[in-house]
Amino acid sequence: MTPVDLQELTAMALEEIARADSLERLDEVRLRYLGRRDGLVTLAGQRLRELAPEQRAAFGQEFNRASGQLRSALETRQRQLAAGEEEQREDGEWVDMSHPFRSPEQGHSHPVAGLIREIEDIFAFLGYQSVAGPELEDDQHNFQLLNMPPEHPARDSHDTFYLSPPAGGWLYRTHTSPVQMRAMLASPPPLRIIVPGKVARRDNPDPTHTPVFHQVEGLCVDRGVTLGDLKGTLEYVIRALFGRERRVRLRASFFPYTEPSLEADVACAVCQGAGCRTCLQKGWIEILGSGMVHPAVLRNGGVDPETHSGFAFGMGPDRIAVLRYGLSDLRDLYENDLRLLECF
Amino acid sequence: MRVSHEWLGEMVELEGVEPAQVAELLTLSGTEVEKVTAYGLGLDRVLVGEVVGLRRVEGSDHLFLANVAVPGQEPREVICGADNLFLGALVPWARPGTRLPIGLEIGRKRLRGIWSEGMLCAPDELGLGSDHDGVLILSPDDAEAGMPLDRLYPADHLYELEVLSNRADCLSHWGVARELAALLSRPLRDPETSRPTRSASGPALRVNVASSTDCPVYLAEVLTGIRNVPAPAFVRRRLAAIGQRSLGGIVDLANYVMFEIGQPLHTFDLNRLPAPEQELEVGVRRGRHGESISCLDGVRRELDPETLVITVGDAPQAVAGLIGGEASAVGADTAQVLLEAANFNWARLRSTSRRLRLRTEASGRFERQLSPHLARVGADRFIHLAVRHLGATLGPRAEGGAPLTPAAAIRCDPRRISAILGMELSPVAVAGPLRRLQFEVREEGAEMLVTPSPYRTDVATAVDLAEEVGRIIGYQEVPGTLPPLRQAPPLEALAEPVARLTSTTCRAAGFSEAVSLSLVSSERDGLAPRLIGDLAHLELANPLSAQLGSLRQGLLQGLLQSAHHNQARGQDRVCLFEQGAAFWARGQERPEEPWMLALLDLADDTAEDGAARLRHLMALIASLSSAGGGGAVEFRPVAWPALHRARAAEVWAGSQLRGIVGEVARPVADAFDVRGRVEVAELRLDGWLKPGGRPGQAPPLPRTPALVLDLSVTVPIRALLGPGLQAIRALGLPELELVTPIDEYLGDQLGPGVKGWTLRLRLRHPERTLTTSEGDAARQAILRVLEREVGARAR
Repeated sequence: MTPVDLQELTAMALEEIARADSLERLDEVRLRYLGRRDGLVTLAGQRLRELAPEQRAAFGQEFNRASGQLRSALETRQRQLAAGEEEQREDGEWVDMSHPFRSPEQGHSHPVAGLIREIEDIFAFLGYQSVAGPELEDDQHNFQLLNMPPEHPARDSHDTFYLSPPAGGWLYRTHTSPVQMRAMLASPPPLRIIVPGKVARRDNPDPTHTPVFHQVEGLCVDRGVTLGDLKGTLEYVIRALFGRERRVRLRASFFPYTEPSLEADVACAVCQGAGCRTCLQKGWIEILGSGMVHPAVLRNGGVDPETHSGFAFGMGPDRIAVLRYGLSDLRDLYENDLRLLECF
Repeated sequence: MRVSHEWLGEMVELEGVEPAQVAELLTLSGTEVEKVTAYGLGLDRVLVGEVVGLRRVEGSDHLFLANVAVPGQEPREVICGADNLFLGALVPWARPGTRLPIGLEIGRKRLRGIWSEGMLCAPDELGLGSDHDGVLILSPDDAEAGMPLDRLYPADHLYELEVLSNRADCLSHWGVARELAALLSRPLRDPETSRPTRSASGPALRVNVASSTDCPVYLAEVLTGIRNVPAPAFVRRRLAAIGQRSLGGIVDLANYVMFEIGQPLHTFDLNRLPAPEQELEVGVRRGRHGESISCLDGVRRELDPETLVITVGDAPQAVAGLIGGEASAVGADTAQVLLEAANFNWARLRSTSRRLRLRTEASGRFERQLSPHLARVGADRFIHLAVRHLGATLGPRAEGGAPLTPAAAIRCDPRRISAILGMELSPVAVAGPLRRLQFEVREEGAEMLVTPSPYRTDVATAVDLAEEVGRIIGYQEVPGTLPPLRQAPPLEALAEPVARLTSTTCRAAGFSEAVSLSLVSSERDGLAPRLIGDLAHLELANPLSAQLGSLRQGLLQGLLQSAHHNQARGQDRVCLFEQGAAFWARGQERPEEPWMLALLDLADDTAEDGAARLRHLMALIASLSSAGGGGAVEFRPVAWPALHRARAAEVWAGSQLRGIVGEVARPVADAFDVRGRVEVAELRLDGWLKPGGRPGQAPPLPRTPALVLDLSVTVPIRALLGPGLQAIRALGLPELELVTPIDEYLGDQLGPGVKGWTLRLRLRHPERTLTTSEGDAARQAILRVLEREVGARAR
């Protein structure tokens, strides 16, 4: 065995490595040449001892170079073959990645319920607690304590559902305002609450009415609360709901339980204030009623109007949802049609 | 209410003020302008023409050929379809080339071989209201041929007003002008009310008001020598502009005063009243049972002690403030008039108007608490106009009711008004708007003594004054601020509300949020599965319909209805939840309002798939209870109305029944027109789940390895897993950390009436590794318990 023989052997081995087309074959090649016991190159190395001392150095050098070359060739080829086999395995597990798979597992929010949660979050940021009250009320809390004695003209707009005997003393609240009374009677000021909930008025269902709908009432009572505070609060909340750019205006109004009373309008989103069918040519859409709590109402709630003042407001999330999401019929909000719910 | 810009302009200078600006000022200050319409615009191009010739168009049964003339021109031929033309009639003539205000372009047109030179116009074609009954016939008193029509109908704008319910004063041009004068800082010109000398002629007159609560003021005035000729042109034009038909001079003037001053008036024909020659006794009293009156609208109305009537010689002549009697109505031959200017109790009129189902311009004003001070102004204004335009002479007068109390002065501190509005206002800045509203302001040191205008019945306190100042200055001037947060909100406000936690959990489990009306049909609600058992529904006393006649006792009827709605629209899987109050009757007591959660999962699939969906629902209930701090739940199989007899369970947490879960019975699903299998649950959340949910408590994490073993047994086919697991837990093995069912096997090789369970046991000792023999011992113990409790055999 001469260095030349060794070179020939190495060349043969390299060729076989290149020809091996699977990891299995490659391993056979490795064993044939570099097998620990009877690999051809391994055996050639063992002949070193048989050589004359002056030949040993050259042969040894050649042997180290040859076996190094083979090992690195085996490694390279092995990586190539392994990668190829992984590719083949993956190809066998093909998935149509263009398929628009959708998670069937996620449920959707109701537009009004979701909007109420959003309103709660906005007010939580301003320090308001969300509280609830009963939906069935007595005349006292729904009307009288709120400065609406029997026969008061303002009751006209609160066409009320009354219960039949024996529960004849109860009515379905026409607004969430009675919860103002309950909150004031339950704890002394300062008070910052909002009250989302269902109310009912005797309106036949049509595109702009449902006999049951939602309101979100708000009440802030403290020392020195001003109409400016009401205005700043409403402007913040309305911008949070309708966007920074939306114009808001406050208009004088009348409610028996507030004085002064105001209504808030937002510019119509459809015509930007120019006047269109959606806003009935007004350019503005009314979204809430509000005002400074009437001194008589404060007194009825056990709050001294000489030391404390407050503001209150009531908004209609159903209407706001219709405006915000471009719906055309309020009744759609109570059909629970999945095609609508899936938008939220 | 409709008001005219031109009419307002007589009482407040509107020179240089655009209608759009008027509309905005009124709207922002509380009197909302819903619509502004142009009236009589561009009529300078339409001429008054005289009909000098008239004949039928040959071969047509409805067309006329009129010869229309203006001075200095040859008459022209105009074809016209209206049949109210006559020779000598003065009519609006739009000549070829004219563009009418409504956008119509008038040309020379050939009809039936004749060239028609323009058009003779009906009121609506001129933009003068909606009347299209015939060509507008102009009175020779006002018009002459050749005159441009805008001399008769000056350009105007009409405002459609939504007047607030406490602002009866704004139901008139004078009241609106008062607002505008304050808003524009311009002087108010009150309508003229000169008082002529009274002649002694006419019958003696007495007024007898039974109750000054029912009728605080009653003014009666006799006018003699009156002629019921047409009212002057400006009266007729303005009434027409606001949509009022002309009804003869006397009634037109009374209406004119009502729309101008706001005071409803009534005119009786004195000669048609009983015994006009002697003393005339006018009474205001309650009606009596059995009395009735034939009204101006031709309807006979029964009277009763709740109704206020006007009588003469004790015979009813009018329903007070609502409608006059037919017998004493003013007619063409009326020569003497009894004028009534009164004020009636608003609450009484409201209830009468509702009971009689009749609302008139007059009653609408009284109902809103019209100022009693207006009666005098209204009467004087009518007298002024009737004397000047209808030749009337003022006769005797009388009045009844209580003496008028002047408006009470309000003591107020201008700093208080600044404090309410949240803007710095000097005393002058406070007094200015009030004075402009015709309030009297006297300064007394730092305070003010403010007397509101007598025509305002809505201003009585300092906060009312703050509103007046605020709305006249304009709320856009108030700086927006936030109230300082001086005290932290209660800590409970930080806890996540149960409703929100529930919504998040249910949506995460694939259920979409539904909201239904709380009003239901008790019959349908009674069909649906409900947590509450047999209980009478709470019924509405005044429902809109039987479908919406009762309060819901549970939430599943709404979800079943929504399931049907969605299935009918092609959805093959419907997963919905709803939260909300249900209503449970308690006799006369306040009804109970439990806060409920209902869940529904609908699919058209096999029994096996239905069972899997049912289990998913039960898993959701368990995880909701766990997340909401409601503790471990236990499902106890039960027979429940409206649920599948072999697929229903009560949901228990601790010792409380919290809900029901199961598959809707087939006949019930059929009744709701729902196909497939409907898995449902209804739970009462209040008193169970807690705001803030489960309190965080983490025991130390074990450091020793767990020993996991599976135990397979066979049990009778109807064996219940729940009691089995409970028995295992009751065993109290200290090392048993967890036992989970991992498989239920139903197969032939097990033999008939038998099924297989595989339970996975996780055992752990806190300090050391458990040995296999300890594991086997635990498994044996569990097996024995299962043998005893559910008849299990090792497999």
